[in-house]
Amino acid sequence: MKKRLPSLLVLAGAACAQPPVAPTNEPTQIARGENIATYNVLQSFELGYRWRTAGGDTDMYRSTVNYGNGVRLLASSLTVQSREGHGRLFDQIVVTTQGLGNDPYQSALLRIEKNRLYRYDLMWRSNDYFNPALTISYGEHLRNTTRHLQDHDFTLFPQSSFRLFLGYSRNTEGGPALSTIQLFDARGDEFPLFANIHREQNEYRLGGEARLLGFRLNLLRGWQDFKEDTPLSLSNPSQGNNPGDLTKLTSLKRAEPYHGTSPYWRVGLFREGKKYWAVNGRFTYVAGRRAFVLDESSAGTNRLGANALRQVLTFGDAERPVLAGNFNINLFPASNVTVSNQTSYNSIRMAGNSYFVQYASGQPGPPILPFQFLGIQTVSNSTNVDVRLRPWIGVHAGYDYDHRRIRSVDGQENFGDPAPGPPGNTPIEQTNQLHAGTLGLRLKPVKPLTINLDAEIGRADRPIYPISDRNYQAFRGRAEYRRKALRLTAYARTDYNTNSISLTSYAARSRQYGVDASWAAAQWFSIDAGYGKLHLYTLGGIDYFANGKDISGESSLYISNVHTASLGARFTVLKRADVYVGYSHVEDAGDGRAASTGARLYSALPAFQAAQTFPLRFLSPQARLSIRVARQVRWNAGYQYYGYDERFATLQDYRAHTGYSSISWSF
Amino acid sequence: MFGLRVIFTLALLAPSTALAADYVGSNVCRTCHPDIWANFYRNPHYKSLASGQEAPENTGCEGCHGPGQAHVQARGGKASIVAFSQLAPDKVLDTCLRCHGQTLSRANIRRSVHTQEEVVCINCHSVHRSQSPRFLLARRQADLCYGCHSSVRAQFAMPFKHRVNEGVVQCTDCHNPHGAFTPSYTMGSRPRMMEHADVNEEPCLKCHADKRGPFVYEHSAVRLEGCRSCHSPHGSMNARMLRRPTVFTTCLECHNGAGEFGRRASGITHQSSTHNLADPRYQNCTTCHTRIHGSNSDSFFLR
Repeated sequence: MKKRLPSLLVLAGAACAQPPVAPTNEPTQIARGENIATYNVLQSFELGYRWRTAGGDTDMYRSTVNYGNGVRLLASSLTVQSREGHGRLFDQIVVTTQGLGNDPYQSALLRIEKNRLYRYDLMWRSNDYFNPALTISYGEHLRNTTRHLQDHDFTLFPQSSFRLFLGYSRNTEGGPALSTIQLFDARGDEFPLFANIHREQNEYRLGGEARLLGFRLNLLRGWQDFKEDTPLSLSNPSQGNNPGDLTKLTSLKRAEPYHGTSPYWRVGLFREGKKYWAVNGRFTYVAGRRAFVLDESSAGTNRLGANALRQVLTFGDAERPVLAGNFNINLFPASNVTVSNQTSYNSIRMAGNSYFVQYASGQPGPPILPFQFLGIQTVSNSTNVDVRLRPWIGVHAGYDYDHRRIRSVDGQENFGDPAPGPPGNTPIEQTNQLHAGTLGLRLKPVKPLTINLDAEIGRADRPIYPISDRNYQAFRGRAEYRRKALRLTAYARTDYNTNSISLTSYAARSRQYGVDASWAAAQWFSIDAGYGKLHLYTLGGIDYFANGKDISGESSLYISNVHTASLGARFTVLKRADVYVGYSHVEDAGDGRAASTGARLYSALPAFQAAQTFPLRFLSPQARLSIRVARQVRWNAGYQYYGYDERFATLQDYRAHTGYSSISWSF
Repeated sequence: MFGLRVIFTLALLAPSTALAADYVGSNVCRTCHPDIWANFYRNPHYKSLASGQEAPENTGCEGCHGPGQAHVQARGGKASIVAFSQLAPDKVLDTCLRCHGQTLSRANIRRSVHTQEEVVCINCHSVHRSQSPRFLLARRQADLCYGCHSSVRAQFAMPFKHRVNEGVVQCTDCHNPHGAFTPSYTMGSRPRMMEHADVNEEPCLKCHADKRGPFVYEHSAVRLEGCRSCHSPHGSMNARMLRRPTVFTTCLECHNGAGEFGRRASGITHQSSTHNLADPRYQNCTTCHTRIHGSNSDSFFLR
């Protein structure tokens, strides 16, 4: 029983996250593997067929779930392990995969290691992304792309006091997309465009770690190259989004190659001095630079009905060096006291220019060369004291001070302007500061029970944005009772922020509450359940134009009451079959109104009223049966339902039935 | 029983000439803990035994559990050995950091929020019963984090989210559970435990490289307050993980011209009078302002 209990707890824990129904969580009986020469080889595979049927808005299904039909290697693993730890070329090879064979979410992991000599890690991931985002830009910003990520890390002498690192990462995104453009002037029309996204980032890393004068020195040098070549075009002549508008577009082509590099340095230094102190520092510099050209030519009819032919040419470059330093001192004056102080400095300097010239019907306009500078310098210092008064009680308190300086310059040079105005490049500078204090209490009145209480109160002057933290307070409490196979937790959290000035006000409140329970009652039964509520209330002043009038004094209200519930139960029947049933329910109940508009709260405009709350329900029950048909072979089948249901509209609702059947085998 | 005593005695005698007085060597431990020993060669800690070069206090079972002679003489029992289930959290941390403290990613572990809350190594790592291919995790990584961060689990159950439950994104892509340097890209100490991208930038940029720039025309909110100004990074009930169900309210809550705010302390740019919010065509800001994360060609992010 004792040996079995941890694995039961693992299963119970796995259930609480409500992962997709496949791959199967239930492992086959633990295999010992096969001994070949001085190695042990252990393998497992889960091969199956995944199916789905979806009704309603299948685009929204693809955006939120996206599992399809087909044969999949749902999961696999291979471990080749040296039994003596003295393999000739390697001591360990580990390969694990998930979703290979066209699942939208695929990953693979490879580790090859030779003790004390080298270690190589590869993580490969693929994510099929589809998003029509119907509520965004009329659904015209559609994306059907695939992102591939791979990270290679090679460590030489991994167990030594002197190590060398080599790394390479690659991040690509490609696929068709729809975007939009607005032409031919500020009062023109909007047109959908086709885009062929092609983005690629390569990063190379070289570093080392060594002991120096009692300190540990970590040095990393990296180069990150990015390029994007995403051409945009118009596939067919377009009337635009607003047919009443005379603006028409008959052709458009845009090319905008965008390339650059971001070399960086990182130096880390740290040391633990006996029992009483530890210091560490990290100093980084990233120099980012991008060069670009944009060539766009369009032809059509302008809003007055006249022929319009326009070419826009811009080119230039931008740079953003980021310098950051962190220095920490930790003191341990007694075994139960930790005092830490951190000072950090961060400087970002963004600058760029963009030569711009526009040709209207073949005639060039006056070229301009705008340039921008934005500098942000932040200095922070925080001190925290943690005292473990008794084994059952501990307190911590801290103070954080931040000072930020923002400097910006906008300027423009007008070539060919016979009477140029002032350059307008006077630097503008402002500062703001934040003071924050924290206080926390940790209680363990009896061994199975832990209670954590934390508070943070902050005051900022001159916040940069209306939604920024100004006067905020955050309180958090959490209690956990853990005894043998039973775990009960409850939490509550509030975050309040007000950022009001004389003519406008902003207030954001969030409150979260929740309870969770998991219980591995017996070898054959475990259950977990959870419920949480998230309440959001935000009220922010707005000012806008409607029908030519400036509307001020209104507010944007957003209320969300999200209830989340999950339940998972696992049964073992006759020591041969495992049954898992799970249910996930997420529902934003909104603010209780029956219709999207008509409340006339804070704004007279129906569009704002409709955006004040967005009730919807997203639920997903699932069930899985896994039967041990032989000692190391299982047959699995599962079903999962997804339902997406908006209360005020049905355009994006969908229902999807998904399932799979598979064989898992370990040997 | 007599046989067992003989085994103990022989086992104690065999390595005693080579080891310090209180250390008995891992071969003795296997006598009573064969189930752990049988698979120990798969454990990364086996490297210390395989090398044969480590001092007794740094190798095998006793490298973590301390000298075993008293434990053997007492015929077992948690009182006579370092049993992690009985250790105070700070002692667990001290024991593991003897070997694992020597890396930059764990340089802040003693001042981390996890340590402060007495969440230490064995709360997430299972040295003898790990089921993960790397890092000896006690469970799948997301399940470990959800175990305490229930509110985050709720966010990942929402319809629009990063694919953590699906296994393609991991918590450690953005967070360092061993404690991180304070985020330098924003003010205040929150968010905590962030794993920086490009060594000092917001972690979102690790994957969303196209949003990094630099751009000639930066959307300064992105650089000053981060992606969280408009997006909920874990999950949202709104498309594109926005904080509001529509784009125009997301934008107008800042772009309201209210004084004191902004780079010039004179308000965030107010929308033009040509924008008639009563007309639905003006309620989707990003239809025209397509390059909202930053542009090289247009100060209003039109292209």
